[in-house]
Amino acid sequence: MAAASLLEAPVIARSLRLSCLPLLCGLALVGTASAATQVLVIAGLGGEAQFDERFTKWSEQVAKASATATGDAARVQRLAGESARREDIQAALRAAAEKLREGDQFMLVLLGHGSFDGSEYRFNIAGPDITGSEMLALLDRMPAGVLQLVVNATSTSGAIAERWVKPNRVVITATRTGGERNAPRFGAFWAEALASDEADRDKDGAVTALEAFDFATRKVNDAYKSDAAVVTEHAKVTGSEPTRFVVARLGAAAMFANDAQLIALRTEQAGIERRLAQLQLQRKELQQDEYFNRIEPVLVELARLGVRVDTRLATLGVRAGESSDAKP
Amino acid sequence: MLNLDRAARSGRMRPVLALLTLFAVAYAGSAAAVDIDYDTRRSAALRRCDDPQHHGRVEEARGCYRPLLRDDNALVRADAAYALGDLRNANELFRAAVAADPRAVYPRLRWGHMFLDAGQKDDAQRLFEEALEINPRDGAARIALALVSSEQFEGNVTQGLATLVAENGNAIEGHLLAARVAIDAGRLDDAVRAAQRALQLTQQQQKPPVEAYTMLAAVEVVRNRDPGEWTRAALAYNPRYGAMFEALGDFEIRRRRYTEADVWYKRAVDVQPDLWSGRREYALNLMRLGRIEEARPHLVAAFEGDPFSTATVNTLRLLDSLQKFEMVKLTDPAVNLQLNKQEVPTLGPYVEQLARESIATFSRRYGYKPDAPITVEIYPDHDDFAVRTAGLPGIGLLGVTFGHLLAMDSPAGRKSGDFHWGSVLWHEMAHVFTLSVTKHRVPRWLSEGLSVLEEWTTGPTPGVSITPAVVDAFAADKLLPVARLDDGFMRPTYEDQVQISYQQAGLICLFAEQRWGFPKVVEFLRSFNDDATTEASVRNVFKVSPDDFDREFQKFMRDRYRAYLADPKRWTELMRRAHTMLDARNWANAREASQAAVDMLPDFTGGGSAYEVLAEAEEGAGNHAAAIMALQSWRKAGGWDPAGLRKLGALLLAAKRNTEATEVLAAVNYADPLAVDGHDRLGQLLLEQNRGADALREYRVLLALQPLDTAAANFGMARSYRLTGDRAQARRHLLESLDTAPNFRPAQKLLLEMTGDRTP
Repeated sequence: MAAASLLEAPVIARSLRLSCLPLLCGLALVGTASAATQVLVIAGLGGEAQFDERFTKWSEQVAKASATATGDAARVQRLAGESARREDIQAALRAAAEKLREGDQFMLVLLGHGSFDGSEYRFNIAGPDITGSEMLALLDRMPAGVLQLVVNATSTSGAIAERWVKPNRVVITATRTGGERNAPRFGAFWAEALASDEADRDKDGAVTALEAFDFATRKVNDAYKSDAAVVTEHAKVTGSEPTRFVVARLGAAAMFANDAQLIALRTEQAGIERRLAQLQLQRKELQQDEYFNRIEPVLVELARLGVRVDTRLATLGVRAGESSDAKP
Repeated sequence: MLNLDRAARSGRMRPVLALLTLFAVAYAGSAAAVDIDYDTRRSAALRRCDDPQHHGRVEEARGCYRPLLRDDNALVRADAAYALGDLRNANELFRAAVAADPRAVYPRLRWGHMFLDAGQKDDAQRLFEEALEINPRDGAARIALALVSSEQFEGNVTQGLATLVAENGNAIEGHLLAARVAIDAGRLDDAVRAAQRALQLTQQQQKPPVEAYTMLAAVEVVRNRDPGEWTRAALAYNPRYGAMFEALGDFEIRRRRYTEADVWYKRAVDVQPDLWSGRREYALNLMRLGRIEEARPHLVAAFEGDPFSTATVNTLRLLDSLQKFEMVKLTDPAVNLQLNKQEVPTLGPYVEQLARESIATFSRRYGYKPDAPITVEIYPDHDDFAVRTAGLPGIGLLGVTFGHLLAMDSPAGRKSGDFHWGSVLWHEMAHVFTLSVTKHRVPRWLSEGLSVLEEWTTGPTPGVSITPAVVDAFAADKLLPVARLDDGFMRPTYEDQVQISYQQAGLICLFAEQRWGFPKVVEFLRSFNDDATTEASVRNVFKVSPDDFDREFQKFMRDRYRAYLADPKRWTELMRRAHTMLDARNWANAREASQAAVDMLPDFTGGGSAYEVLAEAEEGAGNHAAAIMALQSWRKAGGWDPAGLRKLGALLLAAKRNTEATEVLAAVNYADPLAVDGHDRLGQLLLEQNRGADALREYRVLLALQPLDTAAANFGMARSYRLTGDRAQARRHLLESLDTAPNFRPAQKLLLEMTGDRTP
């Protein structure tokens, strides 16, 4: 097999569908790190106090975590309850469309109840509901080349997946179809994923949309199993390359993305990671001992570099432990 | 924790069984059991054919019945088909007979008896009830209904039976039923009187005596004497009368004497090879004895003879499903763990640990070392477990012990917090010992009571945990005297009496332990080895009369539950108020009400207990130390709900009381071991305390549960192996971790340490 270059990485990742070699996912992130990201989080009406409380809490968690991904809290907008009326949502989506440029990313997160009458999806909000068609029209007005991620964690959200997906738009829904009408648990675990080391499986300090999805779906299934209940929601990803989206960053390193020394270390790290990725592609062909013998020296190099990153972060005032797992 | 199963009681597998039993009536082939109709309304034509049938001259009988299929009388045709084993035809003919004479009682009785033979008790009951609606005074119908109740182990049989028998003094079946019920109740003299009266009547009425002989033989068996006089007499009358030996086997099963039952079932099959029910019971009992491969051919034969027996079909399916299981053989002590293959790496380590601990504990406490391997079977599918236990009377169970073999549900597929599998295992393992030291002669109540006591005092959930229902039953004078406590298990007379009897038995053992000391309790247990009755053993060992024993126990109950008994309604009100205040986040009032409820009934630790409300109120008010105290008290009193334990663990961790947290989080594994969450946290704590082997167990389980975060799990494995000195395995798992997450900083640091790298 020919060696994979940095540019080939997303192609390889796609060929592996929803699972990818960790380093290749990591490399893809490096390529998108400089793009501007805008996030809109909307919590719909709960109908009951307990749901209102939950949706508000989840939207706060998602908004807070999203700020780590955008690098700027001002690029995260949260609409909830009475401030999430139809006109508010329309205005927010229009404003985002005006701000974003080619290469930027836009993420929309919907939390709450949805309904589907067989032909039209509706997001339940204060005042008249907003329909799926209305939201789709607004999303379609985003400039060409803006990568979009929609996370619709509402009931019946599966109804919009195929309609909304586009080559530059990945759609994550809490349910498989418009027929799954029970209030899903997916939203809670999506929110949890954005602040979870466990969700960050490759420990690169960035939680991708795919990692958050895998975390949330696993937790949903575990929760139903724990309750010995029939699973009434089946989340799905529609669209390609959900790994392109970093939905949260963990650790303190993200705060120093512009430090020249860290940038240099990141470049060095990327080079080592590329060599490791080459070896990882050979894993199936090698005996386990041989494979480990080959990757060990590369991993040692990375580990040494990790020490240098931590040393630099320490001089920037990050205490030991805060940089743990983080990509410089 | 009682081993009663709420889910099973709700009848989860009934639809399947119903479907099968419908087929049973529709298509069953030859039924080889001999039906004896004592009713004087039976037609003379049928009675002529009954004679060779009852004497075991099968072909002669069939030749006699066959022409009756063309008889003018619909009921004669139906009964002839029934006698010939053509139940499908008989079913239709009985239906026609009932339709032909809608106000007739007798055809309904005959039809009902056919259903009873086919195992469809509900249908039988419905027909007997219809018959009684037509004629409430019909003695045979009343006896038939009592028979159904008796077979369903309902408790209301004994009360009315004496009157029923007195009113129908010449009804043989009434005396036979009275004898059966008396044997089950341990009233053997009464049983002999009833059976002798039945025998006398059979002679007077020229009816077959074999069922009366069976009851008399059963009494001898229960008295541990040779029943040869009666078995020889029965075989002299009918050399093919296997039903008697099957019945003797059934009586032994009810006394949990599986080895003895094996002898009787084998004779049943030897005497009457086409007694399909006997073959099935023989096979089921072989399985109880762990002789699975011997059981299979008998089940296959039973299936071929009666392909629609629910128990046979389900058990054969279970045998097929055993391919999904793996037998793990442990030594010193010898234990065979039969687990679903997927559960070997996840549940297996905890089962092994608890099995070893329980055997060591009980060997010490009861002075008995098992002389053969103990088999522990754990079923993730409750239906498989239910089939495994088929043949036992009564309600749904979570665990059951057949001597040196115990079977139980796995926590898989059950809601977290539904049951504490560790306590179930502990409880069942205690049965292995109490049964063994008494050669299975321990009364049911004492065996259950000691198992409950062991749960409370030595098991993984120590603490006397009861429900208010048992104290309410005490207050209402509904607890049975010690000498009759078996009735509470075998023949309950009110709802929940079985559950209450478990708790009463546990409390009696607790009382006896406190009053006379545990060695005396063991002496009491061993006294049953000599076939003593409860009354005699109480007198001989505790040197008090059963009445005095009961009086002292009542005082124990009054003292222990004085606060609750003073005003039970107040406790209920306090509990309601505590929950209401908690919901309203009124921490102060919730705390006050819940503390008062705890003070009134500290032994109640079940779901929604006052302890948990108190802890939540304290936490809500910011009093974390007090919340910890509340949950620790709850746990000490027997609380085990995994959510509560996790909460306690989290609070202890937040308070940096890691050693205590470790012990609490480890306890979660005996309630909810298959949840991914928690193993990593516990593993880390164990590593902090240099407990490498224990940490390794946690990470092995975690990896087997296929966690999302494999990097962290492999890192934990690496650290654990390193601590245990296995450097090669440590390196392998560390590299596995970094292969998944190359920039996983803690793993990187360990790699540098292990490679001796000196980073500049």
